[in-house]
Amino acid sequence: MMAQPDQFIRIRGTRDGLLIALNPGPFADLQANLAAELTQKEAFFQGSQVTLDVGSLPLRREQLADLQDLLSAHKLELWTVLAESDLTKEAAQALNLATRVAGSQTDLEGRPLSASTFPADHHDPSGPPAANGLILKETLRSGRSIYHEGHVVVIGDVNPGAEIIAAGDVLVWGRVRGLVHAGALGDDTAVICALALAPTQLRIADQIAIPPATSPDKLLPEKASIRNGQIIAEPWQMR
Amino acid sequence: MNSKVITVTSGKGGVGKTTVTANLAAALAMMGKKVVALDADIGLRNLDVVMGLENRIVYDLVDVVEGRCRLRQAMIKDKRQPELYLIPAAQTRDKMAVSPSDMILVCDQLRKEMDYVIIDSPAGIERGFRNAIAPADQVLIVTNPEVSAVRDADRIIGLVEAEEKGPAKLLINRLKPAMVARGDMLSIEDVLDILAIELIGVIPEDESILVSSNQGMPLAMSGANGVSAGQAFRNVAQRLDGANVPMLDLTYKAGFMERLRDWLAGGN
Repeated sequence: MMAQPDQFIRIRGTRDGLLIALNPGPFADLQANLAAELTQKEAFFQGSQVTLDVGSLPLRREQLADLQDLLSAHKLELWTVLAESDLTKEAAQALNLATRVAGSQTDLEGRPLSASTFPADHHDPSGPPAANGLILKETLRSGRSIYHEGHVVVIGDVNPGAEIIAAGDVLVWGRVRGLVHAGALGDDTAVICALALAPTQLRIADQIAIPPATSPDKLLPEKASIRNGQIIAEPWQMR
Repeated sequence: MNSKVITVTSGKGGVGKTTVTANLAAALAMMGKKVVALDADIGLRNLDVVMGLENRIVYDLVDVVEGRCRLRQAMIKDKRQPELYLIPAAQTRDKMAVSPSDMILVCDQLRKEMDYVIIDSPAGIERGFRNAIAPADQVLIVTNPEVSAVRDADRIIGLVEAEEKGPAKLLINRLKPAMVARGDMLSIEDVLDILAIELIGVIPEDESILVSSNQGMPLAMSGANGVSAGQAFRNVAQRLDGANVPMLDLTYKAGFMERLRDWLAGGN
């Protein structure tokens, strides 16, 4: 019986997008299993940014480039390679990918996102975020994680357990009940707008806000932004 | 034959997937349909217990998949309904013993002779869940009116959509109308507000469910008419069978809940 893909690769969502961990094994098998898994879940993963954890596996530059091509063929962008081997690290740097040592994975979930998570020359945190937008015409359900280096517009709801992390602004034509992080690369002028704002948590740049326990149930368009170092949500009014 | 494979799933454990599977299978069989209930919870089987067929098991799903018996040999005939069958899960193996394509093959064979295949999914979102939904024509999401169950149901709906098995239908189980009226339990509207999928039925909390599960006698077969879980299951089965007229379902459901509320208000 052929070995199951699950034994070679593990894929899970983190704050930084997708974390794909490769277990030691023959490179050809890893590649084939990754391809199979990505094909199966393509619709689900699409657009995510990927951190590849290769552990102690030594990868040459060509092999890493192959994996990068495979990911981008499935509309996934490889950002970071976590590796223990120097060979792999050099290969990743040659390909302009960020490297951090495997084992610092906990940072992926606990620590507020900062520009250092991204490859240094991919982004200038002082400048405006890339002026591209991502439009999603669907409700984001629990477990969905949208990660975009620009503005995000959702036409639908953001349910509890779903998250949007955007370098730019976030606009939701619907209810926000999950987590939204705007200006995730440090832009404190970023705003979050929604038809109803009842999030589990809101973040703008490095500020975090938890809404009052009794969120209004009715639709009340609001805009959240940073004022005097604090996140303030105010009702939107026609002028 | 125009047969239908329906998978009952929930994400969270303990919301009543197995009870729902057993009762819908029983109710459909009582309507004269040929029904097989298939337990996909390999390693933690209990559909056989709830249906009262535990002591008749000779072969199970894994035996079929691994070629140790013919499919027909693993189909246990119910002792009360002539056209109701059970294919039990293996208790001594795990979810990896069966693959999604195995499930599709088994169900394609069952489609030839059955009107309905009702699959009981294990809890979780891993292999067992993928096995259970792979052959599904229709996915039925069971949830309880509580925040954590609704959260998991939301995640499952997303996964079902990603696997292109949507749109799923929703069954709210164990609703206590009195608690909802007091504001102590999520209402049907609260649940639908988040999940935003078609509601196929609401099952009221009913102590006789526990009794019937322990006795291995699905309540749909024995339960009283009127406002009871047994009747609610029979209604859901009717709706599943008449899926071509969904609008009627909605009006009927609203009426049903109104009656349920009135009845409880009058009884207090």
